[in-house]
Amino acid sequence: MTTTVSERAWIGKDLKRREDPALLMGTVTYINDFKVAGMLHAAVLRSPYAHARIRAIDTSAARALPGVQAVLTGKEAAEVIGPVPAFCAEPVVEQAIAVEKVRYAGEAVVAVAAESRAIAEDALDLIEIDWEPLPAVTDALSAMQPGAPLVHENLGTNVVYDHVFTFGDVDGDFAQADHVIRRRLRWPRATAAPLEPNGAVCAYDPARGTMEIWSNTNMLNSASWVMSSMLKIPPHKLNFYPMYTGGSFGSKHFLAKVIGIAGALSKVTGRPVKFMEDRLDNLMANDSQGPERIYDAELAVTNDGKFLSLRLQTIDDYGAYFIFAITGNTNMMAQITGPYTIRSVATGIKAVLTNKNQQTVFRGAGSDVGNWVLERLVDAAAEQLGIDRVEIRRRNFIQPDQFPYKIPTGNVYDSGNYPGVLDLALAHFDLDAWRQEQARARQEGRYLGIGLATAQQRSTYSSTEFWFHNPAPATGLNSTPESVRISVGPTGGVTVTMFSPFWGNSPETVVAQVVAEELDIDPRDVNVTYDSTAHALPSAGPGGSRMTVMLAGAVHGAAARLKEKIFKIAAHMLEASVSDLELVGGQVRVKGVPSSSVSLADIGMRAYWFKLDLPPELESGLEGTFTYDHPYTTKPHDDRKDLGVFYPIMGHAAHLVAVEVDIETGAVLFKKYVAVHDVGTVLNPRSLQGQIRGGIAQGIGLALLEEVRYGADGQNLTSTFVDYLLPSASDVPSIEVYHQETPSPFTAYGVKGGGEGGRMVAPPAVTSAIEDALRPFGISIAEMPITPEKIVRWVKEAQSRHSRQTH
Amino acid sequence: MKPARFRYFAPHTIAEATQLLDEQGEEARLLAGGQSLLPLLNLRLARPSALIDLNEIQSLAFIHPQNGGLVLGALTRDATLERDPLVAARQPLLAEAAHYVGHPAIRHRSTLGGSLAHADPAAELPAVMLALEATFTLQSSNGNRTIAAAAFFTGPFQTALQHGEVLTEIHLPGLPPRSGSAFLEFARREGDYALAGVAAVISLAEDGTIAQARLALCSVDPTPLRAAAAETVLRGRHPDNVAWQAAAEAVVSDLKEPPSDIHGSADYRRHLAGVLTRRALALAAQRAERSHS
Repeated sequence: MTTTVSERAWIGKDLKRREDPALLMGTVTYINDFKVAGMLHAAVLRSPYAHARIRAIDTSAARALPGVQAVLTGKEAAEVIGPVPAFCAEPVVEQAIAVEKVRYAGEAVVAVAAESRAIAEDALDLIEIDWEPLPAVTDALSAMQPGAPLVHENLGTNVVYDHVFTFGDVDGDFAQADHVIRRRLRWPRATAAPLEPNGAVCAYDPARGTMEIWSNTNMLNSASWVMSSMLKIPPHKLNFYPMYTGGSFGSKHFLAKVIGIAGALSKVTGRPVKFMEDRLDNLMANDSQGPERIYDAELAVTNDGKFLSLRLQTIDDYGAYFIFAITGNTNMMAQITGPYTIRSVATGIKAVLTNKNQQTVFRGAGSDVGNWVLERLVDAAAEQLGIDRVEIRRRNFIQPDQFPYKIPTGNVYDSGNYPGVLDLALAHFDLDAWRQEQARARQEGRYLGIGLATAQQRSTYSSTEFWFHNPAPATGLNSTPESVRISVGPTGGVTVTMFSPFWGNSPETVVAQVVAEELDIDPRDVNVTYDSTAHALPSAGPGGSRMTVMLAGAVHGAAARLKEKIFKIAAHMLEASVSDLELVGGQVRVKGVPSSSVSLADIGMRAYWFKLDLPPELESGLEGTFTYDHPYTTKPHDDRKDLGVFYPIMGHAAHLVAVEVDIETGAVLFKKYVAVHDVGTVLNPRSLQGQIRGGIAQGIGLALLEEVRYGADGQNLTSTFVDYLLPSASDVPSIEVYHQETPSPFTAYGVKGGGEGGRMVAPPAVTSAIEDALRPFGISIAEMPITPEKIVRWVKEAQSRHSRQTH
Repeated sequence: MKPARFRYFAPHTIAEATQLLDEQGEEARLLAGGQSLLPLLNLRLARPSALIDLNEIQSLAFIHPQNGGLVLGALTRDATLERDPLVAARQPLLAEAAHYVGHPAIRHRSTLGGSLAHADPAAELPAVMLALEATFTLQSSNGNRTIAAAAFFTGPFQTALQHGEVLTEIHLPGLPPRSGSAFLEFARREGDYALAGVAAVISLAEDGTIAQARLALCSVDPTPLRAAAAETVLRGRHPDNVAWQAAAEAVVSDLKEPPSDIHGSADYRRHLAGVLTRRALALAAQRAERSHS
């Protein structure tokens, strides 16, 4: 942890991802390719109604179809599995298969297991349901009205959570302000939509009472005890196997419904059952839709452009269930004041239930929304006060010497150099040249725009964010460990074992580089494996941009333990004192005497198979394990005026974007995109850049294309990729990515997480660029996605306003 | 997303295919590239009793010169249309429009005949057929008949094809000298169905005025649409922005009710039809002038 950048052999090296060859050659097994002997295939009948009571279900014809082994209605499933595990305090109960009534179009109603998926789908065609359709509520504002149809009758209201958090003297600061910037802003419902939908194979052994589970859940260790209550099998009799995951973006945390359906069918048939979502299943019911918020947002500003206070009130459409409570809103309290010295904050949250698939977490987890809202206000303040958009940000940045910096909510930012990041972005963008180009284009009737966003990317979550919104004495989990085992075999080979699965990122690359750093060996010689929960050490799994930080810390700790034993054995072999030894190039040698050395192979063989030649106090074998806990987290205060430290490993980014808008068609064309990110010490520039570019692609998708849409009757209008528009290669420009490295004082090697930053910063930058292009029309952008049709409509409206004024 | 059960046949000749159509009855469907039919099968929106796969009929894939124009086999892939030198020389509009069909992987499977027989009002190639005044050969066990493109597209996903008939050949007459063409469309993303698309052909007279203009649109009507009123407006005029604007206004005012969905309202599609008409005509005229110089 004390080494400086120049002394490091492997950390920071631009190595190719070691995951890629296996992924590209198809030698890894994804869940959809996975088979076990005797396996059945499940398919799910989904509700055609957004809100309806199930009067009766006739499954007799489906059961009679040759090849069908089980048919389960919600009532029947409830006899073998419990409800979906929920982390909310409120009594909002979700079942893997709906019982009595459905609450969104696409909710599971019946599951079938058959000898093939095609037969299972044939069986679905034969099921008859007697429905009593109920009126649906499909937007939060209507759902809040008295007399609105209730999504959950037991709550007596659709407003499931309503509270205003106040940190600092907000009223006093607003009273002092020279200007109050006010905007009503709308963030659209998007969804994670990874390439690979959710899937699981569950194999119940009625003789042993055990269940083996192969799935693409991200959270193996958490799933094994959280899912136990649902599967009604004790956690130690569940074994979750790690599988390669084709992307998650937050959507594969537990997969409770998928595992529950496969598990229930396996319990009733006594055979292994696979349930693999298809695209319709996933887009209608993946439980990973993003926030859908209306904000009334206010920023208190002085005449010289200093931001004093922030006041937010949001209405957030959570959909039909509430398994992660208001995590999307608590998350953004980690960085709600952005990179700016705003000294007080009020944030009101109304969480509303509607007849839609539920909101949980999607890359950014609500902090993406906070960035966009704050940067919209900052752009508006610049415009209203006549201060340049770059300059107003500079005036408000937290300065490098102010860290660690506590923000009003209680969270602490570990380190940063925000002016440095902005300078680097400007150096690569050439703002003056683009402004000249913009002026020249306007002469020709073309509309160029320049966008800027300077925003935070918190990393390394603490689980207090899942419950601190509930008043004391409510409490909850407060650890998020991650472990690894490093073993040196009898011939000196080094293997690292992880207990969280591959979820689409670069965990193998990361751990190999860190082990190589610690043992001074070539990372290509390191073998990396995963283990199932039956053999696992405590590991919370991916989420909240934590894995690079946590794995680096775990490997650092495990390597220290391993080296201790290596040195003890080597000292014994070399008849030297441990303090005289050093580890260089995979050899332990006496300092200054290179000829007096032993290799890792010599030490390994001695450790495993020459017990009588070991120091007597050592047992056989050569491995180090370490469980790395969150590097810095504290509990919330009982009065909730200070939420504690829960997301302190704080990255930052500046994006500068040039676009051209065709005002006749509404098309947006990217001309240049520069992204500078500071996520502390960079372990592997190549994989980090991939993360950032992928995140920016998703951010562009959100800004321009993506939106989950429901009709007035609650039908999901975007249940295929013809209608849910993800950006493709032709929609994403070439993105220049640069790094600044401001190490964290709290983590191993100073690493910070960079998994979500691209998506968290691109939406405000792209919005800012389009607004700048349309500045001659006086258009203020308050919603996304910014579709071509909206652009054409806004321009036409502005032109007709203008012509009314001039005639 | 697995299709319902169906019988499957892969005939090697057109005669075998038409015989199978007769035998299998009205619930049988022909399969060409599968660009549209396969998703419909997997979503169980189409449930044919039998699929007659045309892909083994080698004689259906060809491009030949014919009287200054072209004759194409119905199984010609869109990727071939994009790259074929004879198409580029004689009917570049077809190559230009084919590029807008889906993505490269799709274009290697999707076929000209499949697109025409499917008759999706949002598809590019049916509109191109109207602009190029194509005629189609339809073959059945009773023999052949010929039909003009203008009479072929009868409604959304509906054509003049009778049960038992296979679309086998597409005939495209040659263009007059001093002609230029252009295809433009606007979609949310590259490869998506167009919100509006315009195929334009301009033929210039000796004096540089417009001898003939042909305009057809996709995605703005239940069928591909020939914009006759705009063509009349353009005849004899000078090829300039005033003419293009007049044609665009004629197109827009002639539109009935374009479709409306989450990707674009009827009003927006109407607006785009005007913008694209103006731009496509200008580009076609520019190319016509260049072909002469």
